[in-house]
Amino acid sequence: MKRLDRLKAFFVDKQFVRKRDFLRSLSLFSGLSNRELGSLLQMFHSRVYQEGEIVFQEGDIGRALFVVESGKVALTRRTQDGKDRAVAELGPGSFFGEMALLEQLPRSAAAVAKEKSALLLLYRSKLDEILRQHPHIGVSIMMHLAQLLSARLRRANQSVPAAIAAESAEQTPA
Amino acid sequence: MSSAPVRRALPAFFSWSAFFTLSAFLYFLYHVHAVLIPFVLSFALAYLVNPVINEFESRGFRREHVVLALYLLIASGIVISANILLPAMAAELDMLQGRAQLYYSGIEKTFGVLQHDLAQKIPFGRVLMDRLSLKMYNPLMEQLPKLPSYILGLFPLLSLLFLVPFITFFMLMDAEAFLNKAVQACPGRHVEQALHIISAVDTSLGNYLRGIMLTAAAIGTASYIGLWTLGVDYALGVATLSGISSFVPYLGAILGALVGGLVAFFQFHTFAAPLKVILLFAGIRLADEALLQPIISKHSMHLHPLVFLLSLMLGGKIFGFIGLLFAVPTACVLKALMNVVWDYYLSHVPSARATPDGVDVPYI
Repeated sequence: MKRLDRLKAFFVDKQFVRKRDFLRSLSLFSGLSNRELGSLLQMFHSRVYQEGEIVFQEGDIGRALFVVESGKVALTRRTQDGKDRAVAELGPGSFFGEMALLEQLPRSAAAVAKEKSALLLLYRSKLDEILRQHPHIGVSIMMHLAQLLSARLRRANQSVPAAIAAESAEQTPA
Repeated sequence: MSSAPVRRALPAFFSWSAFFTLSAFLYFLYHVHAVLIPFVLSFALAYLVNPVINEFESRGFRREHVVLALYLLIASGIVISANILLPAMAAELDMLQGRAQLYYSGIEKTFGVLQHDLAQKIPFGRVLMDRLSLKMYNPLMEQLPKLPSYILGLFPLLSLLFLVPFITFFMLMDAEAFLNKAVQACPGRHVEQALHIISAVDTSLGNYLRGIMLTAAAIGTASYIGLWTLGVDYALGVATLSGISSFVPYLGAILGALVGGLVAFFQFHTFAAPLKVILLFAGIRLADEALLQPIISKHSMHLHPLVFLLSLMLGGKIFGFIGLLFAVPTACVLKALMNVVWDYYLSHVPSARATPDGVDVPYI
């Protein structure tokens, strides 16, 4: 048995297996088999960003989904007075820029590496390839994206009337 | 409130310095293209083999082990098939060498009889045949005995058979690491756009190359079966020529019909035999168009027939035969790049973007 394990360890790429297990832990890719996750991982590019390095800026055309493998990434939005306002800080296992997989439009926020961070990038053209070659993987990702969009829209629907009510309450003279 | 279209200058990667650097690089490539041939062929081969390696890699196997195992498998396959194919090819060449003189005299005799009959039965037939003899028949007959030496003259190209797998091996092993280093060296902010271009080109080129490989294999196999059924000599040689030349679109069937037709004519000394060969290759071409191309073109880039023709003519004119081979993939890459620029334009001009139906319906 030990010999079999040693033989397996000789042939198997440990780094690949580690990354595949990492992808499995993400909600976006849940429900996919080992083989499917392996095929999906091959569609990703990876890059290490140094502390303070810009991943993309607000207004850049979105082309890819980013997954934080390690490190920390800050998302900021420029306010009307020209100052950067922090929107979110994302750690390992978080993903951002997923709208680029649906439509390639200018980014609504900037992303900067807060510390040395390893990111995985999935491109729209690669997602198209996945949809063609492995429809089950593509449909699963699209389904999760649709659920995510729906949840965000529902939350926005709930928060907008509350915000309007709060604003009108402020404007009403006491 | 009206939203004016956002006007932007050309994207960052379209700077003049980049344009001049690219032009200088292309000029350099043009001058050294002969040296680059084995590298370009290796690149194409690596592209074709890569999906097989990726398939095993996706199961967690180490890339270097998969590449080594694949090479061992291919080497074994070559040794086994060489034991079967090489003697058959050598026998065909021997037969061609031995029978060339026989074909020559047979054809001369056939044309002599034809010339005599035409001269007697058609008014001005003798004058017509004399002109035809001078213009076509004599040069053809002069070249015929030299045919085996022409074929043997192609053998120096066999050096590529050793060089190309050698270069391909290193490309398969290290290309990914090289790309990763290039990505790492690219300024962070431009990585997304640069990889988007590479990704678009990769998808388009990979699909085209795999499609053309499938076409070449199918045309080669169908030609061999067809020629063997018709009893034409050198079926293997003609089918191999037809299959390999299929890498240049349409050339495979044309060359197969031409060479196969000539062989059939020399062998049977009738016009019916070459006609059957021509019909066979027309059938193969039609089957390719009706059955294979719809599958291949579904996944690869569509080129307008005029662009297709222009790219072939330009490739042939500038780089010769190798230009013909790579003209269409280059056109595919250029189209992919133009699509990237067009998408860039669309994403910056709100009026050019289509709004999906139902956007005004409330979310319930």
